[in-house]
Amino acid sequence: MSGIVAETGIPVAGQETIAPPRALRLLRPLQLSGPFVIALLVGAVVLFASGRDAIGTYWLLAQQSLGGTTEIANTLVAATPILLTGLATAVAFRSGIFNVGVEGSLYVGAFAAAWAGFTLKGLAGPLLIVVAVLLAAAAGALWALVPGVLRARWRVDEVVTTLMLNYVAILLTSWLVNYYFLAPDIANSMSPMIAKQARLGSLLPPSQLSIAFVVALLVTGLYAYFFSRTRIGYELRMTGLNPRFARAVGINLGGAVLIAFAISGFLGGVAGGFQILGVNYRFIDHFSPGYGFTGIAVALLGRGHPIGIVLAALFFGALSSGGAMIQLFSDIPLDLINILQGTVMIFAVIELSRLPFVKRWLRHA
Amino acid sequence: MTRTHRFQWSAILPVVALVLASCGGSSTGGTASSVSANTAGAGPSFKPLCTPQSGKSYKVALIIAQGGLGDQSYNDLAYSGFQKAKNDFPIIGRVIQSADIVSQGQAIVQEAGQANFDLVIDLEFSTYDAVKSVAPQFPKTQWMTPNFTSVAPNDTGYLFNEQDGSYLAGELAAQVTQDSSIPGITPSKTIGVIGGIKAVGIDKFLVGYVQGAHAIDPNLKVLVNYSNAFGDPAKGKQLADAMFQQGANVVYQVAGGTGTGVIQAAQSANKYAIGVDSDQDAIAPGHVLTSMIKRTDFAVYDSINRLVCGKLKGGDTVNLGLKEGAVGLSPMKFTKSIIPSKYLDRVNADQQKIIDGQIKVWNTITQGNPPWFTS
Repeated sequence: MSGIVAETGIPVAGQETIAPPRALRLLRPLQLSGPFVIALLVGAVVLFASGRDAIGTYWLLAQQSLGGTTEIANTLVAATPILLTGLATAVAFRSGIFNVGVEGSLYVGAFAAAWAGFTLKGLAGPLLIVVAVLLAAAAGALWALVPGVLRARWRVDEVVTTLMLNYVAILLTSWLVNYYFLAPDIANSMSPMIAKQARLGSLLPPSQLSIAFVVALLVTGLYAYFFSRTRIGYELRMTGLNPRFARAVGINLGGAVLIAFAISGFLGGVAGGFQILGVNYRFIDHFSPGYGFTGIAVALLGRGHPIGIVLAALFFGALSSGGAMIQLFSDIPLDLINILQGTVMIFAVIELSRLPFVKRWLRHA
Repeated sequence: MTRTHRFQWSAILPVVALVLASCGGSSTGGTASSVSANTAGAGPSFKPLCTPQSGKSYKVALIIAQGGLGDQSYNDLAYSGFQKAKNDFPIIGRVIQSADIVSQGQAIVQEAGQANFDLVIDLEFSTYDAVKSVAPQFPKTQWMTPNFTSVAPNDTGYLFNEQDGSYLAGELAAQVTQDSSIPGITPSKTIGVIGGIKAVGIDKFLVGYVQGAHAIDPNLKVLVNYSNAFGDPAKGKQLADAMFQQGANVVYQVAGGTGTGVIQAAQSANKYAIGVDSDQDAIAPGHVLTSMIKRTDFAVYDSINRLVCGKLKGGDTVNLGLKEGAVGLSPMKFTKSIIPSKYLDRVNADQQKIIDGQIKVWNTITQGNPPWFTS
């Protein structure tokens, strides 16, 4: 993790042009797995302190998230939205933009997809699905362009605007569903069901694993390709690494900012759209438990690296799915899962190679 | 180099704080504080229907709804009924919470069936579509869906006769609004009611309330309005203020979170609100005339009681009402002293008449809207 580090803390692929020392290469896996190991240890202490069997609990957690086809499918379903929001966040971070507003794009995207699903009922299945996803993506991108334009044109700090616009999006969709698109004769805040043909079929019944996960993996591939092989990707990367240098070599900074925001919002919208078409089948007020925010953790934990992001999303997906299911078999409260998740997030951003004792160890190696 | 590092740290910490803050927000406390909802009358009786068979234990799951434990409302109330049943019966009880219950609902319901539970009590309304399709696959498991009709041959629905409790609330409001001896009352022949949305499930409350009010005085005017939102206290306050200005002294809220605005409006206008679902009297002591309580805890307890005693068959819907003490008015802890006792006597007498079948309260679920109720 030495060498140039992007302003966002996410190292940029290919930055280590000089071959790193051997010890450092050995350290990399340790660094990536460090947060998980430490989190599991902290969790074990909590379990032990509350009089529970730590190993048994972890074993059960592993079984309930990875122990069978259905369990794995459920984990993948839970990982899908956070993989997409993780990528959405990473695109912005690598371009030097702190977009913490993916949650907002996700909400407007989800609403747009649901609207298409229950309004354009005359369309055939595949067409309706494509239209719904594209509408979701467009809504998410447009939503993200608001802080994008503010930042590109007037240098308005995007942390504040994107964070605040999340609440605007949540409340806007809440208002729409409560006042204009409420399902008839239901005293709960939810829209009508989307048309049957708009639902994504299950790849592995009875789970809700759908094409959405496959698309999310494809998007991960595109993400890697985009930053390493395309001109625009290179320009965004340079903008993220060193804006002054980027400007000096003729990159249009304002344009780069807008593109980064648009892609980020686009992916956030897709995440929301897929969640409606593949899992919920209707828009439900306040449905997201914070997929956009978990996406920030996923991007940071994965260090912006495509494989890292996939692994981080899978980890959080497994924790979320396994954490819910485990309660059917033991009296472990959800709080333990939250402790594990929180600890991973904290240690994810600590760069272990900077710790003095690790440094010393490195020097000797 | 050092400068780059420092910048990076200062930049990343607020983001981490954001992430953590968002986590804290989405997860509520795991251990629920028990909500006590004492009813005015006897209240429901939590009594085992039989002596449980010795040596046999039952696996029961309780799926917590959006909002989670610690909501001081629906979930906590249901959980307290679950705890009571755990004390009384040989059951292995599992409480399932998830921050993402809306999206994980189907998977959890499926897994619960797979895990051979004897009874799955599902509090999360948005998962009932899933219960409908999953339950028939697991005929050995019984399911329970509160506030909804039975959705499968092995699912038992539980409905509350909220119209009966609302009738009593209407009677009380109609008497109080005409009595200048009660603090804050400018005698009038007007009361109000605010529904969350125009739907039969909500009109059920409204119609009962209007019918009760007209039983006291057929010339009474009942103002009816809908907030079209369940989580909008500002709207609730606005609508209630308008009703108080039109001369209403009492406004009944059937609008969930919007209702706290109605209660606030009553407090600032020195008038009265009537709460709903749980005992809301303490929200603005002295300004919540009474609350129309629904004992979700009893429904949960009752379903486990029936399961253990072999009386839970599924495929039908249980109606709980005044007779079971599952709906009714609150104990009126803060207002009992200011309401003339003859009014309460009338309400209590008519409560008995409803139980005995002498008074029939209109049920919009089975009868549709009555001709005299237009809104």
